[in-house]
Amino acid sequence: MAKLNILEFPDPRLRTIAEPVEQVDDEIRKIVDDMFETMYDAPGIGLAATQVNVHKRIVTIDISEEGNDPLVMINPEFTVLQDELEEMQEGCLSVPGFYEEVKRPNRILLKALDRDGNPYELEAEGLLAVCIQHELDHLNGKLFVDYLTALKRNRIRGKLEKKHRLESQQA
Amino acid sequence: MVESINVRALAAQVLAPLLRQHGSLSTHLPAHLAHCPERDRALLQQLCYGTMRELFRLEQLANHFLRKPFKQQDLDIHALLLIGLWQLRSSRIPAHATLNETVDACAALNKPWASKLLNAILRRYQREQKQAEEALAQDPAFQWNHPQWMISKLQPNWPEHWQSILQANDQQAPMTLRVNKRLLTREKALQKLQEADIPAAACQFSDDGIGLDSPCDVSALPGFAEGELSVQDEAAQLAAGLLAAENGQRVLDACAAPGGKLCHLLEQNTHLQDVIAVELEPERGQRIHDNLHRLGLQLGCEVLTADASSQDWWDGQLFDRILIDAPCSGTGVIRRHPDIKLLRRGEDIAALASVQLSILNNLWSMLQPGGRLVYATCSIFGQENERVIERFIKQHPDAIHQPIDAPWGEARPFGRQLFPQPDGHDGFYYAVLDKQVDDKLA
Repeated sequence: MAKLNILEFPDPRLRTIAEPVEQVDDEIRKIVDDMFETMYDAPGIGLAATQVNVHKRIVTIDISEEGNDPLVMINPEFTVLQDELEEMQEGCLSVPGFYEEVKRPNRILLKALDRDGNPYELEAEGLLAVCIQHELDHLNGKLFVDYLTALKRNRIRGKLEKKHRLESQQA
Repeated sequence: MVESINVRALAAQVLAPLLRQHGSLSTHLPAHLAHCPERDRALLQQLCYGTMRELFRLEQLANHFLRKPFKQQDLDIHALLLIGLWQLRSSRIPAHATLNETVDACAALNKPWASKLLNAILRRYQREQKQAEEALAQDPAFQWNHPQWMISKLQPNWPEHWQSILQANDQQAPMTLRVNKRLLTREKALQKLQEADIPAAACQFSDDGIGLDSPCDVSALPGFAEGELSVQDEAAQLAAGLLAAENGQRVLDACAAPGGKLCHLLEQNTHLQDVIAVELEPERGQRIHDNLHRLGLQLGCEVLTADASSQDWWDGQLFDRILIDAPCSGTGVIRRHPDIKLLRRGEDIAALASVQLSILNNLWSMLQPGGRLVYATCSIFGQENERVIERFIKQHPDAIHQPIDAPWGEARPFGRQLFPQPDGHDGFYYAVLDKQVDDKLA
């Protein structure tokens, strides 16, 4: 397994729309393993392949406190079960250090393939529902900062650009 | 995605085990700091240290408002209540932020049932602060913010100083630096700090000391990584001078971690023959290595993981100088480690005194006749200090007590006691013992 580099906002590659996975084979499973390692190390509770510059429809999630409940979602899709919106504070490994409130439907039905390519369905609510929607947005080139006001988004962009400049000077 | 972190909940997780007498801030805080988003790290530290510093007062307030105490498994909620009270009473955090965040932390701790209770108590405190504090004003634990045993023990020990000691314990300690004389003068170091816009001034008692006007991160200090500066309290910087080691001598530093006094000694004396540092705990020994490396002093010194109250590590060669920085109650450095007030117990002091005496007894036999031993603690109890030396001298006719003639601290029948000074040194104790050369006693 290998830890992968995580792209950070406003990197334009985060805007790429990911391609469906045609066949779940060892190559895909290797990507999944690397994504878990990267996610647990970060630490994060969800990671989309887009964030590690792999533009395939793959998501890894583990919202358990002990980090022992890994979920793999290949070619995931969801439908909203309840239109009611819930506000939750979100953060993102691609927007490090920033947390903002985002409103999303709080119950969804997920359909995806697992690690072996078998289809499954999952009803999710609360944090898991939020996390799935957050990661699926990544596969469509969308970030949680897109839900914020332009003012907030630009402030975050400015701060991260400054951080990236400092990092490249130190490197 | 990254889950948002409630800093108050993290702080409650740091403090809850301490309320159970388990671990200390320095064992629990670092792991939680690593989990904490960078922007909130300073706040997490402030919440933990601030609450711990005022703990005894806050506990009295919590008792005042609570109808019944929390269960043992809900000490995290109890900690959260104390953190909430601290923010309202002593921090500059706006009250609405305190209330929202502290109440939300109950959910983050998976105890949503507690939100209503905490909300009610914190709001009641806002309304009734004055009456509540007036009702508690006569209670010594509230008034002096220390455990009762500590107050009762300090009063007869220091009839003139106990109040100022208790007050100094609750203030933030200054950040003090030691200049590495091997690399630069204090004047030059002060100049470099001034150029870096870090206000600082020479210490009053230590020739190598510099006090900073306000604490800062060591990475901001010019020359820190290069070993020009170290962080060390002024009182601890007095050890090397008292030891007065000379070229060609063999020196032992017992209970040496983290190695501040050892490094100072090596910075001052370039031609010591042998320097041996003994430390019981391997992790703390590693910190000695780290400090020696940063200062480029690793060649001058051998670090042993060993027990200063045994002789199994000793090669049988006598030492010319021995420094004992004895394990102690730490009651002189409460302002740096406010959790000492909670974690120490009255009965610890007698146990520590007997450990201190046994280390002294053991190491004395390793001292060359004509040699010198310096005994130090960061305690302010005579029981661990002058009375240990008094007992030791009675048992060892070849031990000559050398009174310390110095402008700092207070002369005692044996040794010299320093009290914690606002903007100055920590509470500390030193005694100097020389070993008689007289062959009548040999």
